[in-house]
Amino acid sequence: MPLASDQAPEHRRIIHIDMDAFYASVEQRDNPALRGVPLAVGGAGPRGVVAAASYEARRFGVHSAMASLRARRQCPDLVFVAPRFEVYKAVSRQVHAILACYTPLIQPLSLDEAYLDVTAPLLDRGSATAIAREIKMRIRAETGLTASAGVSYNKFLAKIASDHRKPDGLFVITPQIGPLFVANLAVAKFHGIGPVTAARMAALGIHTGGDLRGYPLAFLIARFGKAGAFYYAAARGEDTRPVVAERRRKSLGAETTFARDLTVWDELVSALAPLLAKLWSTYEREGLSGRTVTVKVKYADFQQITRSRTMAGAIISPAMIERISFDLLRPLFPPRRGIRLLGVALSHLDAAPDPPARQLALALA
Amino acid sequence: MKFKADRATLLKALAHVQSVVEKRNTLPILANILINARDGRLALTATDMEIAVVQEAAANVSQEGATTAPAATLYEIVRKLPEGVEVEFEHGGGDAALVLRAGRFATSLNALPVDDFPVMTAGSLPHRFSLPARMLRGMIDRTRFAISTEETRYYLNGIYLHATESEGTPVLRAVATDGHRLARVEERLPEGASGMPGVIVPRKTIAELRKLLEETSDEVAIALSDTRIQFSLGPVTLTSKLIDGTFPEYERVIPRGNDKILRVAKKDFAEAVGRVAAISLERARPVKLSLARDLLVLSAASPEHGTATEELDGARVHYDSGPLEIGFQARYITDITDQIEGEVEFLLADGGAPTVVRDAGDMSALYVLMPMRV
Repeated sequence: MPLASDQAPEHRRIIHIDMDAFYASVEQRDNPALRGVPLAVGGAGPRGVVAAASYEARRFGVHSAMASLRARRQCPDLVFVAPRFEVYKAVSRQVHAILACYTPLIQPLSLDEAYLDVTAPLLDRGSATAIAREIKMRIRAETGLTASAGVSYNKFLAKIASDHRKPDGLFVITPQIGPLFVANLAVAKFHGIGPVTAARMAALGIHTGGDLRGYPLAFLIARFGKAGAFYYAAARGEDTRPVVAERRRKSLGAETTFARDLTVWDELVSALAPLLAKLWSTYEREGLSGRTVTVKVKYADFQQITRSRTMAGAIISPAMIERISFDLLRPLFPPRRGIRLLGVALSHLDAAPDPPARQLALALA
Repeated sequence: MKFKADRATLLKALAHVQSVVEKRNTLPILANILINARDGRLALTATDMEIAVVQEAAANVSQEGATTAPAATLYEIVRKLPEGVEVEFEHGGGDAALVLRAGRFATSLNALPVDDFPVMTAGSLPHRFSLPARMLRGMIDRTRFAISTEETRYYLNGIYLHATESEGTPVLRAVATDGHRLARVEERLPEGASGMPGVIVPRKTIAELRKLLEETSDEVAIALSDTRIQFSLGPVTLTSKLIDGTFPEYERVIPRGNDKILRVAKKDFAEAVGRVAAISLERARPVKLSLARDLLVLSAASPEHGTATEELDGARVHYDSGPLEIGFQARYITDITDQIEGEVEFLLADGGAPTVVRDAGDMSALYVLMPMRV
């Protein structure tokens, strides 16, 4: 169920939170030996790519998505560490929990970035700026990491604002200064204008937001297609895109590989229980509603089969998943070979014909 | 310190104070109760730093003094002593153990210094009034179920008590809401309460107070300031911090123009809701009310277990507006009907709008219920 603010666009309060050099900062936090060192998170091998670079590394021009070989050439002292996504995800969840105290309207862009619509905040701190300041403080206190925050009246400007004073920055673009701020900004700094578009604009003599503003909407659409309309509005500091808190999940699964191949039904029954518990806790926590249960079995010879069943209504209890899983698995017994892996997944998550009833809320201030 | 008291007196006093003590404590002293023997009386105090309960009891004090001892252990021991026995407490001061003797039983309990026991000061409590215990019980019972447990909106984690006017009459109002339903109860404003500030009494305080109210029918003296409230019930005094926050302007969410009126006999209705809702064990599944002239059909569905319906007709239902469908969480309905005696009155607008529920025979309470989108 997507949530979106119904406030008029010009009255919105948007915050963009961007963790500073996220993966690299987590590594430096957890390993003091990496502090102050030019650091790249990613694979050091010949085909490796930098996933994130510390500020020390960025001084040498190392940036994310750069080939590791090239990064090494630019910064011979560069230290590589392998990414630990589980840790980044856990920190991201911690940050998300902080954000969720202030508004349900959170749109995560990745593990380290999110937009918040705090037009009607859950915790009122007097202003969006005060909320941003408190969020930064809490992120620092609870994760030991710094974040930059941008506050403005739309997503486009909030993101530019968070970039403006990085790292550990807080910058506010008010409706009064918004248009002027954009006018003086290089178009290459616009999010949504990459190097190619920037070069095409430069060829037209468009270098800043102010230059861009001189062109009519029809011209920009003719030149740049649908994006032209976005550029036209952006050049005026306008952006009506709502902060959409959506669940993009299409399926949810859990699987386990056994230390010893299974051959007996009872063993499978006991192996299934923790899988279902794990699956259910996520399903319930995320408020998902799915209709299809799929079981996956991988045999000792790595042959893999799946069996699935789609229900008419939403799956609403762990017992229901268990019963369907048993129904799907029982015909496979006794197995031809030992079973080395068992997985269960729920899908059809958005297509529930019977959407869960939603409790409406009182319009308390 | 040395005194004697009979087991029954002690047990009752300990029961009153010990439930305030948190089961898990970071500060060991908070697991203790303060025992103070003075002027031929005994005072027991327990606190969790938010609430303090002081209970006085008769005792035969031969040597005045004070100490602290673990609440749970003490309560457990006294509970297991034989009925009618006299219990002797003796404490040598300082960090000596507290010795307790009863008949041939003796125990030596580790005491903690009195100076470490946190004192909760009430400060000056300028607003004072009293309410009959029965009336206070009624105000609590008809609102506490709606108290929010959501910590982000901490200002909803209690009952909002305030003086206001209702149709020109000064009233004392208790209001609680969790954002899905709201309960508002009012009684004639007692003397002395007219200048009181609106205060939010925390959920735990309400729970402790409610337990104490179980045993009395006397007047309860209430004294309060902006930050503290104190309830005196004879020998027991409960002092609590108040929630430091602003309760929302709840009047705004009470609809005034709901003109579709359903009246239904409480007992039949509540039982039917219970039966229909039993199809689903999910707490948040709705029960649907489908209304037509003098007919109410209750239904619920569970994708797993099936469906259930029950009809209530003319003899028990009065409704003469147009057809309407609306869904509510079953528990939200029964929380309210539990507080209603004869006939339940619903004031409806449409299936997505806040609905007013009242006891047709008692206008002192008003409930607002948000439907579920079904």
